[in-house]
Amino acid sequence: MADVAAPSLPSTGRTAHSHRTPAHRRKAGRVSNVVLLLFAACFVLPLAWLVSASLNADATYELTAPSTLTLDNFGAILNAQQTFLPLLNSFLLATGSALVTVTAAVLAAYPLSRYQLRFKRPFMYTVLFGTCLPITAIMVPVYSLFVQLNLLDSLGGTIFFMGATFLPIAIWMTKNFMDSVPVSLEEAAWIDGASSMKALFYVVLPLMRPGLAVVFIFVFLEGWGNFFVPFILLFAESKQPASVSIFRFFDQYGGVAYGELAAFSILYSLPVIVLYIATRAMGGSFAISGAMKG
Amino acid sequence: MRSIAKTLMGAAAIGLVLSGCAGDSSGGDGDTQTLRIAYKKADPVLEQLMQNTKEQFEAANDGVTVELAPIEGNDEDYATKLALSQRSPDTAPDVFVEDSFKLRADVDAGYVLQLDDYLADWEDWDTFNETAKQAGLGDDGGTYAVPLETDTRVIWYNQNVLGEAGIELPWQPETWDDLLTMARTVKAANPEVVPFSMYAGTMQSFYELLYGTEDGTLYDEDEQKWVTGSQGFTDSLAFLKTIYDEELAVTPAEALDPNVWQKIVGEMLPQDQMGATVEGSYAPQFWQEGADYEWPEYSEVMATTPFPTQDGQEPGAVSMSGGWTLAVGAGTENPELAVDFVKTAMDYENSLAYTVDASKIAVRTDVAEAAEYQEMNPFAAEVTEVLDVSNYRPATADFAEIDTAVLTATQEVVAGGKSPEEAAKTYDETLLKIVGEENVVEK
Amino acid sequence: MVSTSAGPRSSPTEDRAAPAGPRVPRNRVRKAGRLLPLAPAVVLLLVFLGGPILWAFYGSFTDTGLTGASARNPEWIGLENYRSLLADPLFPQSLWLTFLFVFCSAVIGQNCLGLGLALLMQRANRAVAAVVGTCVVAAWVLPEIVAAFITYAFFFRDGMLNQLTGLAGLPAVDWLYEHPMFALILANIWRGTAFSMMNYQAALNDVPPEVTESATIDGAGGFARLRFITLPMIRRSIATNLMLITLLTLGTFTLIFVVTRGGPLNASTTLPIMAYEQAFQFGDIGYGTAIAVVMLLIGAVFSIAYIRMLRERKD
Repeated sequence: MADVAAPSLPSTGRTAHSHRTPAHRRKAGRVSNVVLLLFAACFVLPLAWLVSASLNADATYELTAPSTLTLDNFGAILNAQQTFLPLLNSFLLATGSALVTVTAAVLAAYPLSRYQLRFKRPFMYTVLFGTCLPITAIMVPVYSLFVQLNLLDSLGGTIFFMGATFLPIAIWMTKNFMDSVPVSLEEAAWIDGASSMKALFYVVLPLMRPGLAVVFIFVFLEGWGNFFVPFILLFAESKQPASVSIFRFFDQYGGVAYGELAAFSILYSLPVIVLYIATRAMGGSFAISGAMKG
Repeated sequence: MRSIAKTLMGAAAIGLVLSGCAGDSSGGDGDTQTLRIAYKKADPVLEQLMQNTKEQFEAANDGVTVELAPIEGNDEDYATKLALSQRSPDTAPDVFVEDSFKLRADVDAGYVLQLDDYLADWEDWDTFNETAKQAGLGDDGGTYAVPLETDTRVIWYNQNVLGEAGIELPWQPETWDDLLTMARTVKAANPEVVPFSMYAGTMQSFYELLYGTEDGTLYDEDEQKWVTGSQGFTDSLAFLKTIYDEELAVTPAEALDPNVWQKIVGEMLPQDQMGATVEGSYAPQFWQEGADYEWPEYSEVMATTPFPTQDGQEPGAVSMSGGWTLAVGAGTENPELAVDFVKTAMDYENSLAYTVDASKIAVRTDVAEAAEYQEMNPFAAEVTEVLDVSNYRPATADFAEIDTAVLTATQEVVAGGKSPEEAAKTYDETLLKIVGEENVVEK
Repeated sequence: MVSTSAGPRSSPTEDRAAPAGPRVPRNRVRKAGRLLPLAPAVVLLLVFLGGPILWAFYGSFTDTGLTGASARNPEWIGLENYRSLLADPLFPQSLWLTFLFVFCSAVIGQNCLGLGLALLMQRANRAVAAVVGTCVVAAWVLPEIVAAFITYAFFFRDGMLNQLTGLAGLPAVDWLYEHPMFALILANIWRGTAFSMMNYQAALNDVPPEVTESATIDGAGGFARLRFITLPMIRRSIATNLMLITLLTLGTFTLIFVVTRGGPLNASTTLPIMAYEQAFQFGDIGYGTAIAVVMLLIGAVFSIAYIRMLRERKD
């Protein structure tokens, strides 16, 4: 939890009595508004190409106002093979790995949060260490491992691997969430004769729902967008998620169907943007470091 | 270390099997036989060939399922993903489309089935062009793949542009100097025009130069050694430097962009903004009716000429060929069926349709003689003839890396401000590091 | 107190042997049973993170190839891969580019911009803050491959950035060719700032308003308040955030792979790209694994430094 160390103020402060007026504050607020909106514009600007190209029959990498707006690009890709199957695969990968992560993290967090364990600190630091590993670095060995285990081209294997990569961060977050659920509530359940797992399931988890949702959605977002892992581990066309199948819009000589690429990108991005907005609306926050600090 | 890893993996495997998530192995499930075919998704003509063959093959062989397993991505990504899938018996395809210059490495790795016995009684095999068959040979002289197609590289020039600059048509350059003379003349006549383009983002241009020099080769096939310190290497770099320094070509930035060809075939040539470019024999495929860069007048405006050797020495012209082959996985459970699939894919009708649709060079002599082939575009005969002076890239396991080293050398000269001598020296050093001292010969 | 002597790597099979569910209190079975819920996580971590890490160390001492003779019979070659790595001129360049990328885009760019935005949003109108937040986060939520295509289109020769600077009368610059790292760094700031921003928003919300309030009454100016009150109070968040974004950025692959593929002329080949290229494109899995080990070691150094810092703060 945040350690509130009272910092010493510059001693000159006390004599100069410069109480800020509400007018001052409003002015500062206005400046902040303007600056923020400028930044927001910079962040949204690159997306303009995506939208304009998706509606343009002759799109290129240039940003052009389409002479005639058309939905043909969307029409051309709205079919099972090009769009729905890859999106379904992305969904399976994302949901599967999020479920794996959350389940394993909740189970692990319970003894870590509730019992005095001698190895707790070394364990938590080892897990924290795992949080720090660049997953890209282990893709070469992971590929070799998957060859050995005959797990190549297996959605299940890929889901477990992706789930495992987020497990360290998820264990930390989940344990912190669980720490903030008072243990007295479970004690009541224990007195009624419930086992610790029952207490976890019926008493603790419901109270942690918002936190778990954040962990779940965080892993889901990462799984939905991940390109490198399925690119290396999956082969069959029928198993490819959208991040890999998107390359179909490039022909063998490097020509690009820009309009369709943009339309597909939008269809691929919309679910996660909606998911994010919904999470925000329900008060969820992806402030990972807040949930991570010791 | 290894045993620890094995134990871990064992534990993991048990866990995963228990949870019902182990990789699904294909094939071998008794009465129905399955063949898995890997190929590049990005090539629609190839896709068509595979679809057709699947249909024919399943109709002819009861109980056999052909599972098409196309791979997304460009040639580089295709090669990577194919190699990744070959390391595990569960994912290795039964039949795969293989870039000819990757074949030998895969043979060394034990991924490819030797085909000699299976092809011996195939009558059609005799109709295959002898040069093209070379692409399917392994280091031991055995045949490991059936050629699917090949191509050549020639100079494509815009007759409007050259004519306006006062160049005599048909233009027939005999030496490198003739190329420079043309380019300078065109530039003087119309500074707006790009006179002569050679890509620097892919290697074709450089090899086209190198193999037309006196000692020009990367790899000495007789000694089976890589060549260092070749004058031809430096001269070729110097030629590229000249055309880029004198701004006779596209800008260096464009030259390094692997997609610049789209601008060249799509805009510059059709709009009379470019004099000539070195391009594959399949160029008409870009301009034909229904193609991405449809250009009805291309057959009147464009003309071809073979790429000349450095000083016009024998054989007078030079070309580089690439090509794809069909190979069978060493681990296939149904070698007979797999080879039969290859034979079906490459029978006369399928081969003819594929070759014509893709504007490639025929690998079967009967296809080369077919009227459809000879009439597929006005340039078919000219670009096929060049096959006689054409060269294949060395097909060794480390070629991909050496290829990149050559690419680096050209890019350093074109865009990095290095002199040809410096870049050639860097290449020699890199080459030594890749193949080792014992595999190098100084020219 | 549980008295099992199991360390963090307690063997999963041992745990599994114990019957599930607590029945008789205070016996060994129950104590072991308490640890049972840890088993799935431990197995997953050991197999999918521990296994590959062990394999990485092992594989980097072999000449395992993706194809060619060394794919069939990989040989133990000792430190040979590391020796070649040290002699490879691309390696120091890659290290430097990786550092540049991480430092400029994460430590400076995402971190400072994220903090700045979070501070501004505290003062801004609520509706504005919500809109701006969504705009910034949109880039973060996008699938990485889509973000990469957008980046390519934005910095492309005829792309949007040049169209914009052209409006201002500036000459067109071929960003991806002349300044590939600059383009990639900007793109990574664009994509990653949201992560820091969200962290700092949450951290700033935890700062009790009375503290800054009283400092204001005491006459501390905006900057002094930030410097002496706000920043020290959220320093743990700053540290955690810095660690997370540093390591996320260290591993960035897709953005660079799609936008420049490490080019032109290796001018944007960071360590992940170099490892991929060597292992999967040139088929030298052993060498690529050695590069991966270097990345793992860099990650390890960062995390040990970070863990030490956390411990010191706590004690």
